Amino acid sequence: MGGSSIANETVGVSSGREGITFYQIITNTYLLYTVSLISFFLVWDRVAAWQVFGDSLARPHIVALKLYDLTQIKFAGTNLGGHIWASTQRVLIGFSLASFFAVPLGLFMALNRYANAIVKPIFDLFKPMPPIAWVSISILWFGVGEFSKIFIISIGTFVPCLLNSYNGIRLIEPELYDVIKVLGGSRKDEVVQVSFPASFPAIFAGLQISLSVAWTCLLAAELMNARDGMGFLIKRGMDTHQPSLVLGGMILIALMAWLSSLLISLMERKLCPWKRSIDNL
Amino acid sequence: MNTPSSEPQLKIYCEDINKTFIQKGHMEVPVIRNISLEVEENEFLVVLGPGQCGKSTLLRIIAGLETPDTGYVALDGFPVTGPGPDRGLVFQGYMLFAWNTVMGNVEMGLKLRGVPKQERRAVAHHYIRLVGLEGFENHYPHQLSGGMKQRVGIARAYANSPKVMLLDEPFGQLDAQTRMFMQHETSRIWEHEKRTVIFVTNNIDEALFLADRIVLMEGKLPGRIKKEYIVNLPRPRDHENPDLLELRALITSETELVL
Ligand SMILES: Nc1ncnc2c1ncn2[C@@H]1O[C@H](COP(=O)(O)OP(=O)(O)OP(=O)(O)O)[C@@H](O)[C@H]1O
Ligand SMILES: [Mg+2]
Repeated sequence: MGGSSIANETVGVSSGREGITFYQIITNTYLLYTVSLISFFLVWDRVAAWQVFGDSLARPHIVALKLYDLTQIKFAGTNLGGHIWASTQRVLIGFSLASFFAVPLGLFMALNRYANAIVKPIFDLFKPMPPIAWVSISILWFGVGEFSKIFIISIGTFVPCLLNSYNGIRLIEPELYDVIKVLGGSRKDEVVQVSFPASFPAIFAGLQISLSVAWTCLLAAELMNARDGMGFLIKRGMDTHQPSLVLGGMILIALMAWLSSLLISLMERKLCPWKRSIDNL
Repeated sequence: MNTPSSEPQLKIYCEDINKTFIQKGHMEVPVIRNISLEVEENEFLVVLGPGQCGKSTLLRIIAGLETPDTGYVALDGFPVTGPGPDRGLVFQGYMLFAWNTVMGNVEMGLKLRGVPKQERRAVAHHYIRLVGLEGFENHYPHQLSGGMKQRVGIARAYANSPKVMLLDEPFGQLDAQTRMFMQHETSRIWEHEKRTVIFVTNNIDEALFLADRIVLMEGKLPGRIKKEYIVNLPRPRDHENPDLLELRALITSETELVL
């Protein structure tokens, strides 16, 4: 992070004094990263080549080639970019819709005990429901179209969004409000100067959780029924026995989930420069 | 109480305060018992007492954050009904706003009262300099050491121009050396900008170094005032001063009985 942190002393590896020792080389973190990754792909490649899972595991370069092919041809009406966008769009809409309503509602519930008394019991009823459980009922209600998928994503992401913004305010040290009181501030000042900013990290934590739930829900929905999207690619790969397509779809979804989570982290950094560190970057 | 010749003005007056907390719904814990207190204008009063004797509660009552069960607190002759900017409180835990910079923390009181930005920045800057944090205006609390954090807390309270400063064990979390340094600083700041101060501590040397007058509290709940001592010694004080050591021995002898 930017800004000098005067309270911290950096403990650096002393170098150059007597050359680089063997121990320093084998404990270099970047070297270990590289070794770890290469070993992973090597093991994967060998396991696939030796047909440990029969013909159901594609070698890494086959998967890469498959993904490349998909960018060149239309598959089920659109190329790879189209499939990625179809899924991303669903997540984006479902996630935005849910967080747009859930975050303010969570904050409001935490700040107003009447709102809390009205909403909390219903919310507690829905809270333990695994988000995937909504897949079947929403297909019954809304069919297999776009709306149904967005509904599943929204309902799944709603809960962690609300819960985190709610707890974000509930867990604020009460003496911080006393500071505002003693300085001559009003109840409104307490909310604006303490409640909102203090709950920011919790809200962002909620958004991160929601986002990963959103991708899970998306996959569930697309596996059930879809005509495009990354889940569709996986399903089609499964139905037509193309392990490279299944693996390609899996990798793409993971990649997109990672990218979107990175985006939220960056946003958090921008909006909360006071947070000590953001770990998942 | 003995009164100096120059007709001192009464700033804070506590009349027979009692406070009992209800814990776990039914258990009554008497925390403050029959405390009466007078603090004169620009007096540095130190409330000395061991842990868990109701010191914070007493300060919170004077600050208006708690209401006493009986008795009342008056400031300049008017009863206190709630917290207000005329009494600045420095909290036992630093209680800084983690999301605000040093400047943002120090200017908060002025901001809440609608003082224009330019003006409040100037005032805040004055106090940031007074507590020796010039150059750290744009640092966030997590980038500061404990001693620096507490200075921000002190500057934040000072910048709001309270008539009375209430400090709740402000140096309790600091190491001995920093603590000593902060005591010198506090003494310096106070002589620079005289205020009525009520300073709570559990440290007898800190009390002797800072106080015009020491109020010794009983060592157990409910908190009550055991004794008072006038510390009539020139500043800055020396911990080795024989008069000071004599008073220290006296206070210690009377504390040990209850500890
Ligand atoms: N709001 C409250 N509700 C219930 N009990 C309380 C409350 N505030 C304080 N107490 C109780 O009052 C007692 C005295 O607390 P207080 O914080 O005033 O003591 P203290 O002398 O400041 O202690 P310390 O030296 O640890 O700061 C404690 O036992 C505490 O549990
Ligand atoms: Mg205390």
